[in-house]
Amino acid sequence: MTLTTLRDTYRAISQFHENEKLAAWLQSKRAIVWLTPGRRRQILFFGALLGGAIALFRRQSQWRDHLSATSWLAPPLALPILLALVYLLYLAATHFSRLPAAVRRRPQIALHLFFWLIIVLAWITPKEAGAWKTAIFLIAVSLPYLVWRCGYMLLSAQRGKAAGTAFRDHLFYIWPMWGGTNTPQGKGADYLTQCEAQSPDAYARSVLAGIKLLILARLWDLAQLLFETLVFANPKSPLASLLGEYGLGIPRARRILSGDVSVSLLTTWLSLYAELIWETLDIAARGHVWIGLLRLFGFNVFRNTYKPLLAKSIVDFWNRYYYYFKEMLVELFFFPTYVRYFRTRPKLRMFTAVFAAAFLGNMYYHFLQGRTVIAAGELAKIWASLSPRLGYCFLLALGIYVSMLRQQRKRGEAAPPNAGAALPRRLIQIAGVWTFFSLIHIWNLKGPATLFDRVGFFFSLFGL
Amino acid sequence: MSRQQHREELIKFLRSIQRRDSAIKEVDDSQSLVESGLIDSLAALQIVSYLEEAYKIDFGDNAIDPGDLRTVGTILDIIERVTTS
Repeated sequence: MTLTTLRDTYRAISQFHENEKLAAWLQSKRAIVWLTPGRRRQILFFGALLGGAIALFRRQSQWRDHLSATSWLAPPLALPILLALVYLLYLAATHFSRLPAAVRRRPQIALHLFFWLIIVLAWITPKEAGAWKTAIFLIAVSLPYLVWRCGYMLLSAQRGKAAGTAFRDHLFYIWPMWGGTNTPQGKGADYLTQCEAQSPDAYARSVLAGIKLLILARLWDLAQLLFETLVFANPKSPLASLLGEYGLGIPRARRILSGDVSVSLLTTWLSLYAELIWETLDIAARGHVWIGLLRLFGFNVFRNTYKPLLAKSIVDFWNRYYYYFKEMLVELFFFPTYVRYFRTRPKLRMFTAVFAAAFLGNMYYHFLQGRTVIAAGELAKIWASLSPRLGYCFLLALGIYVSMLRQQRKRGEAAPPNAGAALPRRLIQIAGVWTFFSLIHIWNLKGPATLFDRVGFFFSLFGL
Repeated sequence: MSRQQHREELIKFLRSIQRRDSAIKEVDDSQSLVESGLIDSLAALQIVSYLEEAYKIDFGDNAIDPGDLRTVGTILDIIERVTTS
C-alpha cells in the first residue's frame, strides 16, 4: 500500500461527512424528509421546556447549603416566572423600535441592569418567605445561564432582525435542551437561521457533519483519558491499572503552584505545556458534543474548537480555541466599543476594544459563573477565587492586542517566496503560541494562590 | 456611483488587506470572504473602518452583524442602503 493510498483512505474515512453517495443515500431516508426545519424547531422548543424544568430541579439540589428551608414547590414556581421573564424580553425584542431610546441604544446594559435588579430582589427577600424565597433564589441562580443568550436575542432586535420572529425561534437556543455552559453555543437566532439546512440534501449533510463531531468528541474523551493516565499518571483514571506504570508522572500545574509537590524546573515547564494540551482536549470534546447536536438538528454551524494547537498567532489561537466564547465577547463587548470610541485613533481604538472584550468582558463573564454565590450575596467569596484571573485576562488582552497589530501590519503584503516551505519558522510560531498560553494559564489554575503568588511562580520559571 | 463602481472600489480595498498567503484574484459576490480564506476575521474591523471613512457609515447607531460583512454582496448591500437613504 503506497503512502498516497493510505492518505486517500484516511481522507475518505475522516471526511466521510462530505461523501456525496452517503449524503445522497441519507437524504432519501424518511426521517430526514419528515424532519423539516419547522418540525425540528418544534422538537427543540418542547425540548427546551422540558430541559428547562429538569435543569431547575437539578439546580435546586445544588444549593441546599445556602438556604435553610427548601421546598419541592420552588421549581414549579420558578419555571413559569423564568419563562415569563424570557417572554417579556422576547416582546421587548420584537417591539424594539417602541422601547425607550436609552434602552435601544444600549440594550445589553439595560438587560444586565434588569438581571442585577432580580439578583438584588433575591438578596432582600427574607428567609421567612419560604417557597418564594427558594423560587426567587432559583431564578437568580438560573439567570447567568440565560442572560448571555437573551443578549443575543436583543442584539438581533438591535440589528432589526427580530421583528416577526416567533417565541419558539428564540426559546430553543436561550434554553437549549442539552444544557451546556453559560456561553451560547451557536450564538443566537441570526447566526442559527443563517446556518439552518432548508432542504433534505442540506439537512443530510448537516447530520453527517454532526455525527462526525460526536465521534470526534468521543475520540477526544479517550485521548484525554490516555493523556491523564500517561502524562499526569492520575491514579483515579480507569486506565491506571492497565497503563499506570508507563505514566510520566508529571504533576498537575496547580499542585506545583500550591507547593504540594517539589519538582525540577524542566518538569514545571512540561507540566504547564501538558495543562494546555489537556485543557484543549477537554474543551474540544465538550464543544463537539454541543455543536454535533446542533448539527443533528440542521444547524450546520462552525465548530467550537478547531485545531487551536496549530495556530500560528495568539489571535488565531483565541479564535480557534473556544470560538463561541470569543464570538460572544467580540459581538457584545468588542464591536460596540470599537464603533463608538476613539474612532480617529486606530491603535487606541483597537486597544480599548480588545480590553473591553478580553479583559472586562472576560472578567465579568467569569464573575457571573459564580451564580450560586452571587444569588446568596456572597460577593467577597467570588472576588477571592476570581482575583488571580485579573492577571490572566490582562495578559490575554495584551497578547491579543499585540498579535492583532502584528497581523494587521502583515496583511496586504505579498508573502515571502519561501513562506510556504519554511516549516521551522512555522514550528517556532506555534511553539511561541503554546508558550504564551501555557504561561498565562498560571493565573487561571484552580487553587488558593493569590494573584501575586502566581507572579512569583511565573518569575521562578526563569530562575528569578 | 453605481453598484459596479462601489464593487471595484471595495475589491481594491480588500486586496490591500488580503492575507499574505491568499491573494484575492476573482471573487464572487456571494462567496464567503472569511470561510474561503481570502481575509481573516480581524479584517472585518478594517472593513468597518473603510466603510466609516469612505461612506460615513455610523455603526455606533446600529449593532454590527459580522455576518453582514461576510461577502462582497452583503457589504455592497450595506453601502447601497446607506447611500440611497
